[in-house]
Amino acid sequence: MLRVRDVTVRFGGITALDAVSLDLNRGEILGLIGPNGAGKTTLFNSISGVVRPERGSIFFEGHSLTYAPPHVRARRGVARTFQNLQLWPSMSVEENLMVPMDALGGRNTFSDALYMPFSAYAERASMERARAILHVLDLDRYRHTPAGDLPAGIQRRVEIARALAMRPKLLLLDEPAAGLDAKETSRLAELLHTVRERFHVSMLLVDHDMSLVMRVCDYVYVLDFGKLLAHGEPAAIRNDPKVLAAYLGEESKKLTGEVEAAARARRDERPLLEVRGLAAGYGGLEVIRDVSLDVKPGEVVACIGANGAGKTTTLRAISGMIHPRRGRVTFAGKDVTGRSAERITRLGLVHIPEGRGLFPNISVEDTLRLVSNTAGHDVDMKPAFELFPRLRERRTQLVGTLSGGEQQMVALARAILSRPRLVMIDEMSQGLAPTVVRQLFDIIRVFREQGIAVLLVEQFVESALDVADRAFVFEHGTIGLSGEASELRADRKLVAGSYLGTAVEDGAAIGVANGNGNGNGHHLDPALMETVAVRLPAKVKRALEQRAEAEGRPAGALAIELLQQVDRQ
Amino acid sequence: MTSKLAFRVLATLVAFAVLARIPVGFDVGFKFDAALAVIWAFGLLSLVLLTGYVGQISLCQATFSGVGAYTAGMLVSNAHADYIVAVGAGVAAAFVLGVLVGLPALRLRGITLAIVTLGIALVFDRYVFQDHAFEWFTGGTAGWRVNSATVFGLQVDSSKHLMGAYLILLALFCVVALLMVNLHDSGAGRRFRAIRDSELSAATMGVNLTRYKLLAFGLSAAIAGLGGAFYPLVAGSVSPQPFWLFTSLQFAAIAVLMGVRYVPAAALGGVFMAVIPDVLTRYGHGTFHGHPYDISYDWFQFAVGVLLIVQLILLPDGVWGDIRHRARHAISAARVVTARRMKVA
Repeated sequence: MLRVRDVTVRFGGITALDAVSLDLNRGEILGLIGPNGAGKTTLFNSISGVVRPERGSIFFEGHSLTYAPPHVRARRGVARTFQNLQLWPSMSVEENLMVPMDALGGRNTFSDALYMPFSAYAERASMERARAILHVLDLDRYRHTPAGDLPAGIQRRVEIARALAMRPKLLLLDEPAAGLDAKETSRLAELLHTVRERFHVSMLLVDHDMSLVMRVCDYVYVLDFGKLLAHGEPAAIRNDPKVLAAYLGEESKKLTGEVEAAARARRDERPLLEVRGLAAGYGGLEVIRDVSLDVKPGEVVACIGANGAGKTTTLRAISGMIHPRRGRVTFAGKDVTGRSAERITRLGLVHIPEGRGLFPNISVEDTLRLVSNTAGHDVDMKPAFELFPRLRERRTQLVGTLSGGEQQMVALARAILSRPRLVMIDEMSQGLAPTVVRQLFDIIRVFREQGIAVLLVEQFVESALDVADRAFVFEHGTIGLSGEASELRADRKLVAGSYLGTAVEDGAAIGVANGNGNGNGHHLDPALMETVAVRLPAKVKRALEQRAEAEGRPAGALAIELLQQVDRQ
Repeated sequence: MTSKLAFRVLATLVAFAVLARIPVGFDVGFKFDAALAVIWAFGLLSLVLLTGYVGQISLCQATFSGVGAYTAGMLVSNAHADYIVAVGAGVAAAFVLGVLVGLPALRLRGITLAIVTLGIALVFDRYVFQDHAFEWFTGGTAGWRVNSATVFGLQVDSSKHLMGAYLILLALFCVVALLMVNLHDSGAGRRFRAIRDSELSAATMGVNLTRYKLLAFGLSAAIAGLGGAFYPLVAGSVSPQPFWLFTSLQFAAIAVLMGVRYVPAAALGGVFMAVIPDVLTRYGHGTFHGHPYDISYDWFQFAVGVLLIVQLILLPDGVWGDIRHRARHAISAARVVTARRMKVA
């Protein structure tokens, strides 16, 4: 049904997608997963028409979509939802559904305003269809409520309902579980199955939440660094060592004894930063709830966990970039909950945000001089240049022209010049090459030697656990696990569980689908093979393709051979 | 839906009947104010469509009124056209200009769009309405004098038939207002509001942004131009002063003050804009308990500014929005009470 072939996308010098191919069959729910920056969103956007691929082709039901604008894709039956809730907040739920329906039925503005008979008829028709969809999704109650007043979980459902109002054949779901807790996520999984049965849509699902992907999807593609890493059924993917490595980084065995000792010595000290029952969010979304953690002086603490689990939001709420809704943040014995960001910074808590928060049109030297504003005195730049000799060479260069690794060095140098007591670093290694990342982690060790505490949010779990004394594992907006970094590193399975959702059972769903597939498989007419091929149940087709791939033959030839066998019997 | 429509028609008829009687007992000055109030109400109504429904910013609505006024004035003075034809031409001219102004809005939004429309208002104010190069359109510094006009072949003298002009204006306003209220709930209105709430998802859900944004600007300008086109009939002449930059800014301020999402707020704002300054200049000076006082027109601007600040803090949905919410609360409370009584009985 959807055929993506060798799609390559480049942004500037970065290859976001490198010759990725993907197949989606009718009636299938396809999962697309991968660590942060793997290119999932880029692939998703090139299918929905936001990004244009440089090379390759995208076919939907035999029509090329490669260069079709968004509304043409919509007409062909490709609808999408948005990661950050894009409903029309001031309109009622019903009205939200009626806009896309009208768009399909070419309505006239003037006849609408005058209540002409045709409009009145069309109006009733779309209202009835809207009600039918709302009924299936169990949203009847909220028909007249403004969409913006609903909680996030319901808004997600409304967004799916709105996409269904376009009568799509293929539904593209962009992180539908973002911001939902475990219970809401499992309800969403049931809902997606219902939607497939009732509306006969296929789905492509991009999500970081493995518990959802593993439970819902029939087939999973894994991307890493813009390339296809693996594909297969959820159960197989979960145990694929390549996938585990992509999510957690290379397994490392070395343990440093001195770190252990230092950590033990610190255990009894009073914490420098103490967070209790913190909750925060954006708009209607409550991203984190009941987060409690602490950082002792001179300690390195890592926050790990799947994307969207609330790590970044926690850092933002601590540093005052967003206002916490509940809970308490204590820093150096002072209650700093809800204080403005610059006052918290003055106390010696520096936050290096995701994307580094640098000014691209200011030179390295001037960037470091800006620290004097917060420090209140002129700054001696020597310690920064000692730590980062490369920055001395580049002191007059504009920050925007530096490489990603060098920019991160500037951010770290700026942080250290303000003589902080705690540095919070969000996704330090994002978009950087492994060698650069190793250098940066060494710098963090230097921070610790100088007695500066560090709170890290990291996607390279292994490296983070390597450098950290303790770690907190985030799950669904709260802390699922915590402990000594060495313990967590030893218990690789446990951490993997919070990423890949091992605790989910999905046998039942697969069984049912299999039964269906076998039932239809016997009634194939060889003469109609070409047309029937498209109509094959997804399970059968997928199995056929896998077998063809294993035997190195075209799927069509294999199918005809199998059918001949059936004929002979 | 039909009962809703019937209610709206009924409410509009009652409003028309009441408003048509109000200026009867007053002198010519207040009758002029009443007609002017409707003209300004058209300007505010155009913002209800553009800002309230579609979420676009415009600071040149008075320019659209002015284009309507000058087109009508020119046709009546030069070509001796029937006034109804002149009004039609004025509305069409405003619509075309509105679509042209809408073109930059396809790419711009927020503060940049405000600046662009402000620039357009300034250009028309300084270099079209007041410039010699466009004398064929503006009638020179003195403007057009429209002492008498024919409406449907009947001779109308503006100084004697002010009430007639007022009634025509009011009737037109009631019709347009009713259409606007219906538009809000119709399919087109939904698409407009979808653009206001999120352009991105409106586009992906099949709403043609180019078409609906241009339509919104065109219709909005046409509404403002319809009011403006009656200005020559009411005032007897056209001059640049009523349609200058500041009127546009006042439109924006008062539309927000009264509640930019609600049609009746436009009527409220029109009265406020036309009557209060006149009351101030007439009765704004005298003695109060032996102390002489003098409240000039300048105080009106000041009051608008202060009221705007107060409103933004206390009534974020505007004066009419607040009245509406209170009324709805009262109605639902009354329903609960009657329901309880029924149960008791």
